[in-house]
Amino acid sequence: MRILVVDDFSTMRRIVKNLLADLGFTNTAEAEDGAAAFAILKQGGFDFVVTDWNMPGTTGIELLKMIRADDKLKTLPVLMVTAESKREQIIEAAQAGVNGYIIKPFTAATLKEKLDKIFERLGSAA
Amino acid sequence: MTDPARNAEITAHLRAALAAISHADDASLKAELGAIVQWQEQPLMQGLAKLSQSLGEALGELPAVDAAVGELPDACARLDHVVAMTEQATNRTLDLVEDSQKLMERLLVPGDDHEALLRALRSNLSEMALAQSYQDLTGQIIKKVAGIVRGVHDQLTAMGLPPTGGTARRKDEDPLAGSGPAIAGVDKPATSQSDADDLLSDLGL
Repeated sequence: MRILVVDDFSTMRRIVKNLLADLGFTNTAEAEDGAAAFAILKQGGFDFVVTDWNMPGTTGIELLKMIRADDKLKTLPVLMVTAESKREQIIEAAQAGVNGYIIKPFTAATLKEKLDKIFERLGSAA
Repeated sequence: MTDPARNAEITAHLRAALAAISHADDASLKAELGAIVQWQEQPLMQGLAKLSQSLGEALGELPAVDAAVGELPDACARLDHVVAMTEQATNRTLDLVEDSQKLMERLLVPGDDHEALLRALRSNLSEMALAQSYQDLTGQIIKKVAGIVRGVHDQLTAMGLPPTGGTARRKDEDPLAGSGPAIAGVDKPATSQSDADDLLSDLGL
């Protein structure tokens, strides 16, 4: 399982990577905005994306839409981890095809719960 | 404009320009035409100078802008410093956490020097506590910046430039544009994780 962590703050990328490592996901890479993330994803080899919403340049919601519009990437699971917490935004993300939505600040337990839920759904869909 | 000296001067330029045309002397023609254009622009330039002078006088009559406004660039530099300090403190803490995780793995190894490992862990914990001292410093800086912003707001109000109500501006704001964390008492109440979960399950997620 190779996971791409996308956030403009290097410290938050590091925190998410640490939490993922604690959960047994040690194969991770980082990108600092949606455009950089999309370029990395296009090279292939990733199974999961954890992304922030609010980033300079290409935002997380734009990245999500780019992934869903791409023939090769469209089934890639995307977990949004963001401080954006307006109802409209959550609905927008859901309609764009997000697989999970975590509001910052969050706990390790929330991250584990959402990941488990996404994998469970993917497992039952497969 | 009716100054005879000026008229003679412009006539001379025009004659010279005609002569330049008949000699196909482009350089001279350009120079003569340039002189004529400059002569024509002079009243405009004088008018502009007058206008800028009266603007300056009018601005001078405005209430003096308080020092607080002058402190704005300074406030930005202070906030940049806060970002740098918090990033540094977070990285320091994460370094210590990662190092401690490695030490804890070694605690599971029988025969390793457990006493030394525990001493190292204890030291990491106090270093982590120390790294949190950034809060005192950044707190002071942020309070100072808040003071500057308040000063600017008061100054604008005193000048009769009350900022348009925040609610009016927020209405136009794109609700989908990223705006960072919602602040209690300032922004609309944030959706909690459990409200978000309910909303998402209503939407079939």
